[in-house]
Amino acid sequence: MAHDSQHETERRKQLVALMTQHQRRIFSYIYALVPDRHDAEDLLQETSVVICEKFDDFRPGTDFVAWACQIAYWRIRYARQKFARSKVIYQQELVDALAQTAAEMREELDERHEALAHCLQKLAQRDRELVLTRYEPGSGVPEAAQRSGRSLEAAYKALARIRKLLFDCVSHQLAGQGLT
Amino acid sequence: MNLSDNEILELSELCSALVDGRLTDAQRSRLTQWLAASEPARQYYVRAMGLSASLCSYASEMQVEAPDAAPADKIIRVGFGSWLGWLAAAACLAFMLYVPFHRPAPEPVTANLQPEEHVARLTGARDCRWSHPAPSTQPGSYLRKGEMLDLAAGLAEITFDSGAQVVLEGPASLCLNSAWDATLLRGALKANVPTEAMGFRVSNASVQVVDLGTVFTMVADGSGAADVLVLKGMVETSSHDSTGQRTIVLHENQSRHFAQSGISKVSDPAQKFAWVAQPVSLEHFAPSTRYVHWSFDEAGGDVLKADAFGAPLSAFDARLEAISDAVIATVRTDGRWHRALRFNGHHYAKAAFPGLSGNSPHTVSFWVKVPEDVQLSSAYAMVAWTAKGEKLGSHPVHIGWNRNPTEGTVGVLRTDYGGGFAVGATPLRDGRWHHIAVVFVPGEDPDAPVEVKQYVDGHFEGEGKPSPPGTEVSEKFREPGASTIGDTLWLGCRVGNNGPRRDRFRGEMDELCIADHALSPGQIVALMKDNRPAPTALAARNQ
Repeated sequence: MAHDSQHETERRKQLVALMTQHQRRIFSYIYALVPDRHDAEDLLQETSVVICEKFDDFRPGTDFVAWACQIAYWRIRYARQKFARSKVIYQQELVDALAQTAAEMREELDERHEALAHCLQKLAQRDRELVLTRYEPGSGVPEAAQRSGRSLEAAYKALARIRKLLFDCVSHQLAGQGLT
Repeated sequence: MNLSDNEILELSELCSALVDGRLTDAQRSRLTQWLAASEPARQYYVRAMGLSASLCSYASEMQVEAPDAAPADKIIRVGFGSWLGWLAAAACLAFMLYVPFHRPAPEPVTANLQPEEHVARLTGARDCRWSHPAPSTQPGSYLRKGEMLDLAAGLAEITFDSGAQVVLEGPASLCLNSAWDATLLRGALKANVPTEAMGFRVSNASVQVVDLGTVFTMVADGSGAADVLVLKGMVETSSHDSTGQRTIVLHENQSRHFAQSGISKVSDPAQKFAWVAQPVSLEHFAPSTRYVHWSFDEAGGDVLKADAFGAPLSAFDARLEAISDAVIATVRTDGRWHRALRFNGHHYAKAAFPGLSGNSPHTVSFWVKVPEDVQLSSAYAMVAWTAKGEKLGSHPVHIGWNRNPTEGTVGVLRTDYGGGFAVGATPLRDGRWHHIAVVFVPGEDPDAPVEVKQYVDGHFEGEGKPSPPGTEVSEKFREPGASTIGDTLWLGCRVGNNGPRRDRFRGEMDELCIADHALSPGQIVALMKDNRPAPTALAARNQ
């Protein structure tokens, strides 16, 4: 009995550690297939429930993110009806194609995530504040526009410009390291 | 085939419009067709969406809200913000068995496992046996946000940074969500919440208890149900069961049983009250702490005498600078305790303080009175010193009031330090005395940031957070050879690389004290109320 309890606690700790380590990667995968932040967040929560339920099926030492992303993929398929009225609807064929591409690019996305931290440092402070405010939980473009003293339209344009700057900066940084 | 420059520009615009929810029908059609047909387009798209996902992550990490006027409703949010609930639930896995993950559910847990973000300390114990002994279960250890304590047997006292104190009785599992809230998964706890920590809350699957300044006990049976008993004061309970949500206030000597099926009476309440009212003896962990204190009670002269709350410490005496004899005669005024020192925006004071610039924990406390009509130019600095530790770099540490409206309310307590700043919530520019305490905890992990915790009038407000990287100020002081004025305490002025700058503080200061440890919230309140350190708690005391 005590042994079972200890084993259960150990597994729980493994799960927490894996979730903590990989939450961003799983979210990134879902977000590519369901490009609405709130929908993606809901799906992440649903996915996490299934991950917890099925964690006994996960074999330590194997690829947790791949396993978790598979669960996420099936949650997305299952939930397609839920997103029928969403602004962007991808056909299942496109979801499948994007899922494959996203799975193949996982390592690169990790590198890009790390590089992004350096690129954020290079941004002008005003731009950095705008983009980080835009992405804060519960925030959006209107809030970022208001806090930065920009009009809404100016904020949309600035964000598009900043994203492009960051995208290029990350690409250049990885190219410099021979990673792309 | 790779994308052309024009195609990249177009795809970038489409992705940006998609992320911002501004995609037109025509653009949507264009994007989906393109993605369906082109692998390079899909790769670009995945990178672009990955960028936004990463920005969500970085932005969430930088967003920290501390409790203020209504701490019960505030949540310290780190990590991935609103969609972090699942992770927190995973951290407290047993909790997941009872609470669904969707967002409208009660949010008793919203913390992430932050390796070096501490929210509490293990301050006392008796016959403790931990299910999984770890460094954090050692006496006196700091406890992380999101950490789950599994106590197999014995008693453990946890003191949260908010000042709330919880005695956990094993077998019990407690998840530390923040300085203001915890989740009891199973077992019993007794919470002693001083006025300064009012709003501290404890929850489980069936109920959330918000303290209104009291002593209460919660006993969770491990199946999601819990007994709540109020020994002193009152608590607000919010139940979330199959019948919906209900909020009731429990007063002294009242109790309730909360379960998924609903609210009911506690069985054998008299017996349970008698049980929880029994005094408990604990061993407390209080390191020997040295204090250097300036009372500013001298009758006159330019020397500000230091003491150790009794015995003189002349090596730490401070001296007024940039001041004429005529002005010296006017700088003493009525203080919070006897006399105080007035800063007129021109003079300052300094004292040698060996070790101050190093990388050790310490606490700075004092009383301050800031005039209502004070100008922004007089915000720098009540207390300052230069740092030379690896973590703090050579960036000066300044304790003053905030003058930057983009980083917090103007006029609240602000501490700037290498790599970060902390901003409080209580306006100081009101012509009244306020007690200030700032705790510096460098931590043992060389890669972890210094933790800075601010207390105003005994209330925990304003944890330090990193400065945006690459800002002018944080880069400037990393120049080689910067700072040659270490181990000096400066009062009433801003400090630069070569000494005091022209910026000065205007206001009054009293009872400055620097301790060579990170004081607990209770020790800070004792300094505030009694103007002397709390008695060392080496001996066991009754709880």
